Amino acid sequence: MQNALQKLNKYKYPYLFIAPTLIILFLFSFIPIFIAIFISFTNMNLSGLADFSNIKFNGFDNFVRLFSDATFQKSMFNTLIFVVVGVPSVVLISMAIAILINQGTSWLFKSFRVIYYMPSITNIVAVAVIWGYLYNSQYGLINQMLGFIGIDPVSWLQDPVIAKFSLIIMAVWKAIGLNMIIFLAALQGIPRTYYEAAQIDGASRWEQLTKITVPLLSFATFFVSITTLIGWIQFFEEPLVMTKGGPINSTMSMALFIYNTGFQRNNFGYAAAGSIVLFAIIILVTMIQFKVRKKDSDVEY
Amino acid sequence: MLVLLLISSLVLAACGNKEEAGVTTTSDGKRVLKVWGMGGEDNAISTLIPAFEKKYPDIKVETQFIPWDNAHDKLLTAVASKKGPDVIQMGTTWIPEFAEAGALLDLTPYTEEFPNLKPENFFKGAQETMTVNDQLVGIPWYLETRVLFYRTDLLKQVGYNEAPKSWAELKDAATKLTDKSKGRYGILLDTQDAAFTLPYAWENGSEVISSDNKAQFNQPAYIETIEYLTSFFKEGLTPNESDIKLLPSFGQGLIPMFVSGPWSANQIKTDLPDLKSDQWATAVIPPKEEGGKSASILGGSNWSVFSSAANKDDAAKFIAFMSDPETQVAKYKHDQDLPANMKAWDNEVFNNKPIVQTFRDQLDTARPSPFVKSWESIGDLIKAALQQITIGGADIKEQMEEVNTGADSLLAE
Amino acid sequence: MDIQVKPVYKTIVITLLLLGSIAMCIPFVWMILASFKPESEVVALTPKFWPQQATLENYVRLFTEMRFATYLWNTLVIVFFSFIGLFLNAAAGYAFAKFEFPGRNVLYYLVLGTMMIPSQVTMIPVYLLLNQMNLTNTMAGIVLPGMVNAFGIFLFRQFMTTIPADLIEAARLDGASELRTFFQLVIPIAKPIFAVQGILTFIGGWNSFLWPLIIANDENLYTLSVGLSLLKGQYGGDFAIQMAGASFMVVPIVILFIFMQRHIIEGYTISGMK
Repeated sequence: MQNALQKLNKYKYPYLFIAPTLIILFLFSFIPIFIAIFISFTNMNLSGLADFSNIKFNGFDNFVRLFSDATFQKSMFNTLIFVVVGVPSVVLISMAIAILINQGTSWLFKSFRVIYYMPSITNIVAVAVIWGYLYNSQYGLINQMLGFIGIDPVSWLQDPVIAKFSLIIMAVWKAIGLNMIIFLAALQGIPRTYYEAAQIDGASRWEQLTKITVPLLSFATFFVSITTLIGWIQFFEEPLVMTKGGPINSTMSMALFIYNTGFQRNNFGYAAAGSIVLFAIIILVTMIQFKVRKKDSDVEY
Repeated sequence: MLVLLLISSLVLAACGNKEEAGVTTTSDGKRVLKVWGMGGEDNAISTLIPAFEKKYPDIKVETQFIPWDNAHDKLLTAVASKKGPDVIQMGTTWIPEFAEAGALLDLTPYTEEFPNLKPENFFKGAQETMTVNDQLVGIPWYLETRVLFYRTDLLKQVGYNEAPKSWAELKDAATKLTDKSKGRYGILLDTQDAAFTLPYAWENGSEVISSDNKAQFNQPAYIETIEYLTSFFKEGLTPNESDIKLLPSFGQGLIPMFVSGPWSANQIKTDLPDLKSDQWATAVIPPKEEGGKSASILGGSNWSVFSSAANKDDAAKFIAFMSDPETQVAKYKHDQDLPANMKAWDNEVFNNKPIVQTFRDQLDTARPSPFVKSWESIGDLIKAALQQITIGGADIKEQMEEVNTGADSLLAE
Repeated sequence: MDIQVKPVYKTIVITLLLLGSIAMCIPFVWMILASFKPESEVVALTPKFWPQQATLENYVRLFTEMRFATYLWNTLVIVFFSFIGLFLNAAAGYAFAKFEFPGRNVLYYLVLGTMMIPSQVTMIPVYLLLNQMNLTNTMAGIVLPGMVNAFGIFLFRQFMTTIPADLIEAARLDGASELRTFFQLVIPIAKPIFAVQGILTFIGGWNSFLWPLIIANDENLYTLSVGLSLLKGQYGGDFAIQMAGASFMVVPIVILFIFMQRHIIEGYTISGMK
């Protein structure tokens, strides 16, 4: 006891520093997760919410039902497509733009930074209205431009296959800004001497890019990939405001499925089960990424 | 660091105000009545409240408005915390789920004191939205119903001096109006709206959901309806794309007919200043056979009292006031919402208004969507099936069997 | 890095970036222009790029139809408390970076783990908790759940690990208390990362919408975003005013970003994107 107290006293500052955040995270992140796990084994719905005595345990029923639910399966498949196409696009495009913007320091390049950052701070309601116009099948700007070069109008949001990619394009557009800034920062951390040395050795521009820049961006790439990955597994806002998951559930993501069952259809037990599955997938994927990452470590920016 | 946290939580606590059980009173001794209205109603409600407070000087109304899109989320949490308001404006489709969860108060005991609350004051269709399990849980405030909007000038060109009067005429007019080369369709049918099939199904004698709570989607009456409606898609009389800009397309004549509610009449006036009032008109939804009974879908808003309300008695007074014919006429004058109380329609303000009269006629035969708590989920099944048929080319009978099975299991829950 | 860049090469880079920025810009410019159009122009079949009859009507409605002062005040209060949260994040990041203590790694991974919790999972449970704590309808209920975040702690920790240990040791030897060291030495060094986190925090607080709406049982606690969404009726429409609202809300953020962008990029640079 005495010993423990002494120990606590020795470490009181670090504990004091982390205490407020840990208390808040514990209250509003950890406890809710346990409540959600608990709810996932019940039939909680609106009557349960109104009066807790109406809640009944139903064991693994929700999970069993979930994996035979065609809509949920479809939402898992859609989420997979979103992640597989979306994450690499975001990482590659934002890296490319950052490398381009990093070529200059004039006011023009500074303006580019602001312009490319803008989509990520534009309100989602405005984004939805504007893209709704761009994608409009009847008179949308994109179809009008295609018309000029003699291409038939495309049903951007009505065709079950195309709609998925339309949403991905829009989400990539919105995600580039923040990630570009992260890459840009990493690029500015690379000492200029590396490039000077390479130029003396006669390395071409392309060689400098592939042998110096990209390898040295490895940490930033890892960081961007992991946050983007987590974000895309939880893909939610874009389908909610653009397609509500349609047509024929082809843009229904897992997070949207959970929102619909929980908040629109009041099946909280079932929705909680879905969210536990989503949570498990995120943890699994993140752990795999960390494992892969562990293999290489060198000087990185 | 802890100090910082302490200070901030103290400041925060000071910012909030504690609520206590029982009726709260203001400093000058008035009883507080908490009312939740929906976004967009703030003007209307705020203009009506002074008259109410004049009638009941010892009541102080406190209003809060909630955006429509998020009202459902907000109501859920209010039910959970039992810290909701006394009176709440409800979309009619939400009433069954909240009533069955025991969240809404039975107003039957108040009907003697306030005859305005009695069901017989309201349109027959609206009466269906008032009771759940024989409890009086919602009092209609304003109604909306869907009618046919059409371009009189364009229909004349294809030989229709009046609106189509039967299913056959509707289809015929749509076929004649459709002109691919001009990008013109005959009519817009909105498959995104789960209620869209209901008027036609009712006209065709389908009950949709029977009185003993069994789905009727695989019965001939409903299947026939779907065959009729989806034939518009197959023959290209209506756009498959759901993102048609309805009003401007109507203005340019690209969509010469559509079915919609009273808000569209208001929007046409504000958004299409170039469309002259003799270029468009409204008519009741065509019945299956000429001279048959038209049907339509009925929606709108009701007032309900939360069963956890602190001030139930004043809540009843408030609702009685809101359902008074005079109040409802005032509401109409303010924002053109259609009164639910039939007596309100005797007011001269409705005379000589052909558009409003169409709605008045349709209200007589309009019915709410099936008043079961799982209706919204069933609606999703119908929407999905319609998309499978119109976009995916799926078989109608198979799809309807599927909808029926799904609906039955939802109804059994 | 403009050393030895050939003009041709630079032209190509600029052209590429210009083309890209048109794509990035169009929606944004569109939003601003639409906010000056009457509704009929916004919903027109083939909307014109420039407003034909420019109007301030949408902005006038914005300010007259919502209780603007109250909502602005609440939004600012939320922003203020998220900035306090920022300091809490910084303190935690500092402790994780510069102190050895039992359980450090476990706790740090737990903190990072919270990044993975989808918000749909926790919304109802958090609401029920706050209700038990009697914090519904309070500003505390609105700001507490989102006050700290794992992403912020992660960035601060990354940054603080680069602060030389000698520097902190020297301060301690001078007799400065731990708290003083943190406030007077660490925080000033961490300025760039505060800029990065500051803008993210500001955006989050400034746009807060669903949570304030759910917690508030009184319009006196509504934020600008909530007020804005009240203007939208049940049957859609009102795009023009939504554009005005969205433009109005984004302008402060753009200004903030323009002023702070240098710090922000520096912030990420030093913060251990290495």
